[in-house]
Amino acid sequence: MRKLSFIIIISFGLMLGLVACSSGESQETSGNDVIELTLWNDWTEDRPENRAYKSMVEKFNEQHDDIEVVIEAIPHDQYETKLRTQAAGQQLPDMFRVWPGARIQPLVEGDAVLPLNDITDNWKGYIPEAIMEDYAVDGNQYAIPGNVSETSLIFYNKEMVAQAGFDTFPATYEELKTLIQSLNDQDITPIALGNKGIWPLQSIYISTIADRFTGSDFLPDVLNGEGSFENEQFIKSLAVIQELTEMNAFNSDMNTLDEAQARNNFISGNTAMHFAGSWAIGPILDSVENIDNIGVAPFPSFAGGEGDPQKIAGVAGGGIALNSKLTEEEQQAAFEFLKFFYSDEMYQQLIDANIIVPADVEIGEDIPQVFQEANKLAQGGLAPVYDATLTPELTDVINNGLQSITLGEMTPEELAAQMQQELESE
Amino acid sequence: MHAARNRTIAITVGILPALIIYLIFAILPILQSFYYSFMEWDGFSDMRYVGLANFIELFQDPLFWNSMKNNIYVVLASVLGQVPIALFIALLLNRKIKGLKIFRTIGFLPVVLSTVVISITWSLIYNSENGLINELLRTAGLDFLAQNWLGDSNWSMIAVLVTVIWQFVGLYLIIFLAALQNVPEEVLEAAKMDGASEWKTTWSITIPMIWDTIIVAVILCISGSLKTFDLIYVMTNGGPAHSTDVMALYMFNETFSKLQYGYGSAVSVIIFFFSLILIYTVTKLLGRKML
Repeated sequence: MRKLSFIIIISFGLMLGLVACSSGESQETSGNDVIELTLWNDWTEDRPENRAYKSMVEKFNEQHDDIEVVIEAIPHDQYETKLRTQAAGQQLPDMFRVWPGARIQPLVEGDAVLPLNDITDNWKGYIPEAIMEDYAVDGNQYAIPGNVSETSLIFYNKEMVAQAGFDTFPATYEELKTLIQSLNDQDITPIALGNKGIWPLQSIYISTIADRFTGSDFLPDVLNGEGSFENEQFIKSLAVIQELTEMNAFNSDMNTLDEAQARNNFISGNTAMHFAGSWAIGPILDSVENIDNIGVAPFPSFAGGEGDPQKIAGVAGGGIALNSKLTEEEQQAAFEFLKFFYSDEMYQQLIDANIIVPADVEIGEDIPQVFQEANKLAQGGLAPVYDATLTPELTDVINNGLQSITLGEMTPEELAAQMQQELESE
Repeated sequence: MHAARNRTIAITVGILPALIIYLIFAILPILQSFYYSFMEWDGFSDMRYVGLANFIELFQDPLFWNSMKNNIYVVLASVLGQVPIALFIALLLNRKIKGLKIFRTIGFLPVVLSTVVISITWSLIYNSENGLINELLRTAGLDFLAQNWLGDSNWSMIAVLVTVIWQFVGLYLIIFLAALQNVPEEVLEAAKMDGASEWKTTWSITIPMIWDTIIVAVILCISGSLKTFDLIYVMTNGGPAHSTDVMALYMFNETFSKLQYGYGSAVSVIIFFFSLILIYTVTKLLGRKML
């Protein structure tokens, strides 16, 4: 009999333990007067930009005894998947990093994020309205832009490009092809590409290349049903990827390397060029041996294109959204954090970290040439970034389709038709 | 009578915690998946009942059939690769040889390693420009054999399968070794006295005596292969161009990358029935009642 009661006690103990575990999280805040806010982000890579963000959070915690921001970093490639999964289970953290446009839309539709309209005046005249709008849906602001991501820059090794007979970087696609040809003749891999994650060819390449061909109105028009992906100019832009692959412009292992690995190949001088967004400026400048040997150039112009060749695909980024289920008290604390976080101090630090910022801040003279040039490119106007504009389904179709094109398993025409079909089925 | 009832209560109480956990975390999600599979749901907004639409769409998607085909390759590679190789090595190791423990440990090592470590290591080995395999081939002057192992859709699945086999041979090796240890010494001795050759002994005595274990290994193999996900997710993420997509990966991408929770649930329901049928058929074929 004693044995039996022992078993009962143990099993009840176990069950209690279970219950305690499941309710543990909600009790965190009620322990003492400190409001604890969890912040999810993708600041896992040790790069200057992430160090800047983290130091801002540390500073905030030091200055505020009553609020504690706890950061939880998740690798970039898994971040959004995890966020969506948690959102579906109604388990979002208090604050979380979000990307604009189509990527924040589902969160808004699901009432998962809190509008920040009450505090947006804080940044009025400081951050241009056009950039703020990237994080607005139906007139409500959901995050404050921390940086501007230009997704299409060409980084090149000046020495290698000069050796191939180009003192300045090619301004037209025809010249670029000549450059690629002559690099290949010298047995130098022309462009480092890491497309294992399947987004680079779309986000970095097509966003700008397609804009050069079709103009910036094309994408919104098609999505509104006033056009079609089966457009001659759009197909031409997809054909550029095909042509580049066929002329061996990329490393042969492009589909098995991720973006960071490809970047490292460029940094260590194995390739002459690397196409990437402004996020690569910091890491490249940080680890390359001779900064003066690295140049940055806009994408070339394409003959017959209808778009403005000055433009570069770009979008605001670095926003932090708030959970719509925060209590009044937590909201105030979170607002205070956002005001502290998105301040002159942070933007200044970001510029030192070679990140392009939306805010109007002064740029010191000691900032590297590469950054200043990249920063200038944004002045030519921003073109829509494909994966920030397309629905997740369409993004998946174009991502996989572009990879199939590089493998010769699909033609540009087929991909355009497939995209149109997907669009119509939505 | 009284004691018996007490024992029943004790057993019930003892089982209860585990049962509740099992019901909540294993059975309930399966039932929930059935429910979601009839819905159109992006994970955030309200669900909408769509009947069998998800299943109809699913059966018309060539990518789903492609992932099922690849999954069958994984099952075949596991059953026809892992089990025979493991059995062969186990038979070799099941005698008094020096360094048996070392061989056993080496064989089991891949099972202990994290899948991510294995995936990344093999990705490096397979790399087309500076990977171990291609470097070896080039050094040996066999340049024409060097391939873009993971980047070429003709080779990627084969490359992944080799890794899959390598990863789990050790597990079955240990299972078989344990079973072989249980084969009674006397029977083998008797066979020897009767003048049976090693070959004959192995085929007529050893293998029949561990047949049960072999069936269990085959079943574990099949169910493991149907769940295969992590290795491929890290090595190729189903690419290039879906050439290494398996069902679990297809389900994952449809659900979480494309935000189609209803459709993804429909995929998992199909995987559920597919596994059930496959395992049932295999146990029937191997002449054992397991279900």
